[in-house]
Amino acid sequence: MIAVRRQIELETFFLLVIGAGISLFFVTYKNNYQPQFSIASSMPSMQVSTEAVAPKITISSQISPDGSKKLIMKTTQNNDNTATYDFSTANENGTNEKLIFTEVVDSSKNMTVPFNAWSPDDQYFFIQEDSGDSKNIFVFKVTGKSFADTQIYLDASSIFKEANTGNNFSEATGWASESLIILNTKKQDNTKGPSYWLEVPSKAIIQLSTEF
Amino acid sequence: MSYKKTKKTLWHYLKIYFFSLFLGLIIFSVGSFFKPQTNCANSKTCKSDLVVSIDNDVTGIFQGRKVIPPKIDLAMNILNPPVLGVHVSSGKKHIYVDLSTQTLYAYEGDSEIMQALISSGKWGRTPVGNFSIWQKLPVTRMAGGQGQDAYDLPNVQWVMYFYNDFGFHTAYWHNNFGNPMSHGCVNMRLVDARKLYAWVDAPTSDQLGTAVSVCDQFKEPNVCIQSKSIN
Repeated sequence: MIAVRRQIELETFFLLVIGAGISLFFVTYKNNYQPQFSIASSMPSMQVSTEAVAPKITISSQISPDGSKKLIMKTTQNNDNTATYDFSTANENGTNEKLIFTEVVDSSKNMTVPFNAWSPDDQYFFIQEDSGDSKNIFVFKVTGKSFADTQIYLDASSIFKEANTGNNFSEATGWASESLIILNTKKQDNTKGPSYWLEVPSKAIIQLSTEF
Repeated sequence: MSYKKTKKTLWHYLKIYFFSLFLGLIIFSVGSFFKPQTNCANSKTCKSDLVVSIDNDVTGIFQGRKVIPPKIDLAMNILNPPVLGVHVSSGKKHIYVDLSTQTLYAYEGDSEIMQALISSGKWGRTPVGNFSIWQKLPVTRMAGGQGQDAYDLPNVQWVMYFYNDFGFHTAYWHNNFGNPMSHGCVNMRLVDARKLYAWVDAPTSDQLGTAVSVCDQFKEPNVCIQSKSIN
């Protein structure tokens, strides 16, 4: 009686071992299975070629002081080592977008939208072009219309240079009023020079007694 | 030596009484005359005129130039207040102004909920010290200064006074934030001041308004360096 019982226990044990072994085999096979010609495996090579072709685009914006408008700068890095900058204005919520200016520059230059770009009454804005140590400031009408001499923008740094003040333009900090841009300068010995106003409608350069 | 005792009359006591009144009056008058003058960023309104004021059809003056104020629709502005820090409802509110970087920080407890460039005093010093908001005005008129620095600016919005007439408010007449540009107040962009105004607490009968610290230098989250604090 005892021998029969021991035999049944052994059979049960072996059956359990075999069942577990078969299960393990199938589980292992399933987990290691990879289709040979799957779509997923072929995607990485496609992605690499796509990245090489598609230009890199970045978008930044600056809201006007009253929060009603924004100036959008779209930068496209081209494959020929240049970048295309598109400047447009829009309402705060992105509606009514209007392209104002497009410029292609080489890699030695960089364009930015300064924090104080907007005039206080939202009628003008300026952008900045950095080239090594020098900066250029371009002033636009928000309407996109030209200034009196058919120029689409005023080159503030060139206007300052033509005024022959004896100082060198260094930066534009912002707007002192609806039509006055504050320009800081450096003296010939590279120390801080006086500040000036650029009156946009008249293109006049006015020296200030106060430094900004 | 004998001491003659005299009877005090009613007139005697009246003389002492009126002499005391006269002496008190003199002390009060002299004390008032030599009282130190209050610093005012806004010499017109510092005297009496801290009221809501809308002037939609007048021009302003700043640095000797005409300024056209924005038209104010007070009802619209009040009906649509922006909400700042809506999900942060715990902790004490505190505003820090860093004069060295011209930056404002608004904290609720340990959470920074706003950071904005400002313009502090250029033609007058912004007081360094620890204060609290004592009055909020949605719109008012500010005037003061002398000579070339005289200014008269109607429709200044979202005003939050923290020390005498020194306060936070919008500045529609310039856009040179991040640089000193005021007569002592803290100028902000309209878009920033409006948010701050909605968040700031005015004082109540049992509680001060939102705390304000003006610092020579501020290191986040709460180190305010004040070299010449006025209080």
